Amino acid sequence: MLKVENVSKSYGSKKALDSLSLEVQEGSVFGLLGVNGAGKTTMLSILNGLINIDEGKIDVFGFDIKKDIKEINKISSIIPQHLAFYENLSVKENIEFFASVQYASKESIEKAIEINSLGSLLSQKSSTLSGGQKRRLNIAIGLLNDPKIIYFDEPTVGVDPKSRNEILDSISEYKKLGITVLYTSHYMNEIERICDEVAIIDKGKLVKQDRLDNLLSNRVSDKVLVETLYSSKTSSLGLTLLDDTVVETTQSELSAVLEVLAKNEVFIKQIRYGSSNLEKYFLEVTQ
Amino acid sequence: MFRAMIKKEFLLVLRDRHALIALFVMPAIFILIMSVALKEQFNQDAITFNISVIDQDDSKLSKKFIRKLDKAKSFSLLEQSEDIGILITIPKDYYNLKKKSQKLDLLVKGSMKGDLLEIFKAKLLKEVMDAKLKQMSKEIKKTSFQASKTMKKISLDYDKLYSVKYEKTELIPSSTQQSVPSWIVFGMFFVIIPMSTIFINERKQNTLNRLNSMNVSIPLMTLAKIVPYLVINHIQVWIMLGVGVFVVPLFDTPALEITGSFMALEVLSVALSISAIGLSVLIAVSATSAEQATTIGGISNILLGAIGGVMVPKFIMPDSMKELSNISPMSWGLDGFLDIFLKQADVMMVAYNSALLAGFGLALLMVSMLILRIRTSKGL
Repeated sequence: MLKVENVSKSYGSKKALDSLSLEVQEGSVFGLLGVNGAGKTTMLSILNGLINIDEGKIDVFGFDIKKDIKEINKISSIIPQHLAFYENLSVKENIEFFASVQYASKESIEKAIEINSLGSLLSQKSSTLSGGQKRRLNIAIGLLNDPKIIYFDEPTVGVDPKSRNEILDSISEYKKLGITVLYTSHYMNEIERICDEVAIIDKGKLVKQDRLDNLLSNRVSDKVLVETLYSSKTSSLGLTLLDDTVVETTQSELSAVLEVLAKNEVFIKQIRYGSSNLEKYFLEVTQ
Repeated sequence: MFRAMIKKEFLLVLRDRHALIALFVMPAIFILIMSVALKEQFNQDAITFNISVIDQDDSKLSKKFIRKLDKAKSFSLLEQSEDIGILITIPKDYYNLKKKSQKLDLLVKGSMKGDLLEIFKAKLLKEVMDAKLKQMSKEIKKTSFQASKTMKKISLDYDKLYSVKYEKTELIPSSTQQSVPSWIVFGMFFVIIPMSTIFINERKQNTLNRLNSMNVSIPLMTLAKIVPYLVINHIQVWIMLGVGVFVVPLFDTPALEITGSFMALEVLSVALSISAIGLSVLIAVSATSAEQATTIGGISNILLGAIGGVMVPKFIMPDSMKELSNISPMSWGLDGFLDIFLKQADVMMVAYNSALLAGFGLALLMVSMLILRIRTSKGL
């Protein structure tokens, strides 16, 4: 598990992190929420050993970040927001290169290719991939070292809805594989969809950390969220959408909504009763 | 790990067509153009005048004189051409000693410089005097055989008149000897283009940070970049030498002669490469965008080239400029190459220039690594 205790980091006179403490359970999907400049990127840079902490302690699966960063890097991986690979190399060349620098095993290479459905794209030049395929390659590179924990740095920024769904679905797959995920995003609905636990940080400080269920159960309403599998039809059905897959309705209108979805062959993934969206809560606690 | 990083760097450069043109095609074309274009300017012996002759004398001697002009190295006899620089008219009775002495009539192209005309007159005078002496000798022979024999011994062959030796330190290169090293040096410094483009893209897209988080250290990343460019620079040197030795002569221009040691050539090339790579890495890590890096790199290359004797040969620079040129690493490299081509230099003779170049490159590399470390720690 990942344990962050009273970590502080300053850039000159500006405090990026102020006695921040977090605890991420092994095998969970943990959402790190915060506005721009809240300290999310600083936190990820620290966890990757790119910058050092001024004060505090970080323990990653039993390794101390100050002493064992090389060991931590071997069991962790970051999926950067930018496409951090070589566009002039083919998919295979990129995977081979990043696998070689990490001494990755053949099995983990095959697993990364399979999970991200890159098998048919191996000989293709990376610059010719679609936006979603590029994202998948970016993620696959992060899986090559068979990590115990993966840090996702806003991986869906600027991504089309279909690719976004593929990415979010793949993160659910990592959970099944027992990989711990730390996920940063601006999009509350994404956090609501995939995370077990959430931490909200503001101005480098922890504002709230709790299980997602607990955060949302305190805010019971008549609202019902119907999460569907992605379909291009959903947006044209005249329903209230929170995003391209989540339909927002009330208990009284639920049966009518389900009928419309069934008629248009839009498949339902889950229905959440009495939920409130996280965004309202986030705005309340960060104001 | 290191092998994979080198392979990646090679693949990226080899797939960058613009970089390949800048590294290999551009200097090769420059060598060819400059060697051919400047061959007359660098040739100390051959000044050839394009002439045409109107023979109004139409005598046996005038015809013999024209044949002699045709054979002389200094003159190229043409018939009705725009290239004719001087039209010589031999007047009637020019070789008739019994008649009043006549003048040769010279019609000179307006653009001909005065000092060149003086050289022409001197060369023509030699031919005229030679012919006249022979004619006089023939005439005297009728009265005195001994006097005629003595006259025949009088020679106007320049090679027999003077003994010319060049001072060794002031050897002047041929156009090929000047162009090949100049554009080798210039071309080698153009590694800034692919290196900075790749490096800045890696930095901007966080690939460097990603590699760093994969336990790839900054010195290893830098070293993995140096090795491929050392090889590329080396290939550049041998291709450009090949152009000088084999391609330039196809254009009626002297081939490159390498009189010095090949080991000296190797040592100097490696040192020059370290210098070029050092500057390239420094610009790549300091610039904020690929456009900025290529602009700064291009300008610094041109300035270093202009100061260092790439654009204008050092031997025609005034003394103050010669002094200034010594601050440019391109000048150190160029001097080393010229020593090898002209003065049969061995490794010891190029050791000083090589040490300067390697030291300059290593110093810049160390500064670059420091900058990169600071930038990485700030997450830039």
